Amino acid sequence: MKKGSFKIFGLVLMAVLTLGLALPSSSLARNIKVALLLSGPANDGGWNAVALKGLKDAEKKFGIETAYTEHVSVADSESAFIDYAAQGYDLIIGHGFQFGEPAVRVGKRFSRVKFVAIESNFSSKNTASFRMSIEQAGYLMGIIVASMSETGVIGIVGGMEVPSIVKYIEAYKIGAKSQRSDIKILESYVGTFTDVAKGKEAAMAMIDQNADVLSHIANQAGTGVIKAAQAKGLMATGDSWDQNVIAPKTIICSALYHVPTLVLNVVKLVKEGNFKGGIYNQGMEDGVVALSPFHSFESKVPASVKKKVASLTKKISNGSFTVPLIEKRTSN
Amino acid sequence: MDTGLIGILTALLAASVRMATPLTLAGLGETFSEKSGILNIGLEGIMLSGAFFSFIFAYYSQSILLGLLGGCLGGVFISMIHGYLSVRLNVDQTIAGLALNFLALGLTSFFFLMAFGRTTDLPECPVVHQIAIPLLSDIPIIGPAFFNQDPFIYLTFLLVALCYVVLHRTEWGINIQATGEHPRAADAAGISVSGTRYRAALLNGVFGGLGGSYLTLALLGFFMENITSGKGYIALVVVILGRRHPVGVLMAAILVGAAEALQFRMQTMGFGIPSQVFNMFPYVITVLVLLFSIGKNRTPAALGEPYIRNNR
Repeated sequence: MKKGSFKIFGLVLMAVLTLGLALPSSSLARNIKVALLLSGPANDGGWNAVALKGLKDAEKKFGIETAYTEHVSVADSESAFIDYAAQGYDLIIGHGFQFGEPAVRVGKRFSRVKFVAIESNFSSKNTASFRMSIEQAGYLMGIIVASMSETGVIGIVGGMEVPSIVKYIEAYKIGAKSQRSDIKILESYVGTFTDVAKGKEAAMAMIDQNADVLSHIANQAGTGVIKAAQAKGLMATGDSWDQNVIAPKTIICSALYHVPTLVLNVVKLVKEGNFKGGIYNQGMEDGVVALSPFHSFESKVPASVKKKVASLTKKISNGSFTVPLIEKRTSN
Repeated sequence: MDTGLIGILTALLAASVRMATPLTLAGLGETFSEKSGILNIGLEGIMLSGAFFSFIFAYYSQSILLGLLGGCLGGVFISMIHGYLSVRLNVDQTIAGLALNFLALGLTSFFFLMAFGRTTDLPECPVVHQIAIPLLSDIPIIGPAFFNQDPFIYLTFLLVALCYVVLHRTEWGINIQATGEHPRAADAAGISVSGTRYRAALLNGVFGGLGGSYLTLALLGFFMENITSGKGYIALVVVILGRRHPVGVLMAAILVGAAEALQFRMQTMGFGIPSQVFNMFPYVITVLVLLFSIGKNRTPAALGEPYIRNNR
């Protein structure tokens, strides 16, 4: 290298260094910085996609700075938290129950930074867990399904037997029995959220036993459940988003989880300085859990049931009625 | 529907056969491949590619036959890459197979996204429907399970018989076995080792692709990222369990299918046993059967070993 190029190199290096030093100080009066950790691809059309949407919504609404990392495995989650904390992020959200424990551990080292894990049970002074009260939707869905069944047998397929799935199914069973005490409920867990063929077979096993309305809380595997009901001309319910588009003549109603709203709520707390560590349950009262419209079933669901569901929704939202939260499976 | 014991047995058997079909088809292809000496772990990728291309062909042409063709081509695409890598380039067959599984997962997901974007509604393709075979389907229990199914399942039975004849009763089948047992002797006898292995890889692709097509063209009528979710790996187990014999493969596949069908039915009976125990059931059965058949399994002597002609 010639002497001249050394000079240029030195100048550039100095410029970069000054810039690098100047940047953080110039952004002292800056907006808050929020990072999101995702366990899988951001374009999965489900769990991770909705979280990213929430982050982008918050960016627009509050003018915050955002960043996200995809495919964070359980082993990498601690270092991912540390990375963002060291870069000066104010709020770091881990999207999934597995982020809870690492968040608490990293939280001890970065007391100024706020950590959040979605659907987790861990908390500390600067770490909070936000859980969705999906059991509220499960309870109402149980009522609707029991009222629509002609054979008196209904079925529900769960993905995996983990607390966040079990609480929906247990509330579903209580709801169904409150509507119709002699209802027979078939339940099974397929042990996967992705195997569509297995989901369909689990549903077929229930159809063979006379079930005429099928529900699921099993992501992709649940699509197999809907397809089985559709193929046999029976009814089904949707989960996570309004699945009526998949099978308009089959889906009575879907349970909706507004994860974007949940993420917005979290960012809002931090932005307004009201963030405290702890475990939070967010449901219908926070606009996070809801039921979809009935679409083509508007005229088929009995008016008395619609009225009951509407009044219960109101009571759950204003806190005068609490759906039991059971996270361990009970036998029928 | 009849809920008595006969009704339960009938439904159970029918479900077992349904679940066994993709495993049997893929297992038949792998049998040819392994008999010729190529161990193709990439069966999952072959099935996934088959499922994807069968869906694409059937979706755009609205024809099931073209869908089948697409499925076979999709399977052959992956299996021939593996064939080329193992026969011509002599690479480690296991590593190549694993790599192809990931390649197929990435490619199919990417192409699917390219073709349909991020939509929430489910693009659907035509599916084959049940056809009851007169008289035979009236036999109690067995009739509805074996003779009141979709044409795919009848095709599978036919192919099992055909594969048995080809593999054990024709010169070409014997050549395949010779290539897998003692490629040097086969070569000396004038059999083209690489030619035989390429043809076996081709068959592996066709059968594996059909197995994948079964998911899209018969069972589900749509495609999703990673729709096979591990069925290719189960098919590999089925091949070992069935001792690389077409009829054995069919029996093993039905056993695995029955274990799966049974666990779904037992779960709904509400025994108060954790669901994970039921989910393990098919795998426990597989391991048990493998355990009791130790020693009887004959692996082709040159399985997984590249044949290099000029080496001594």
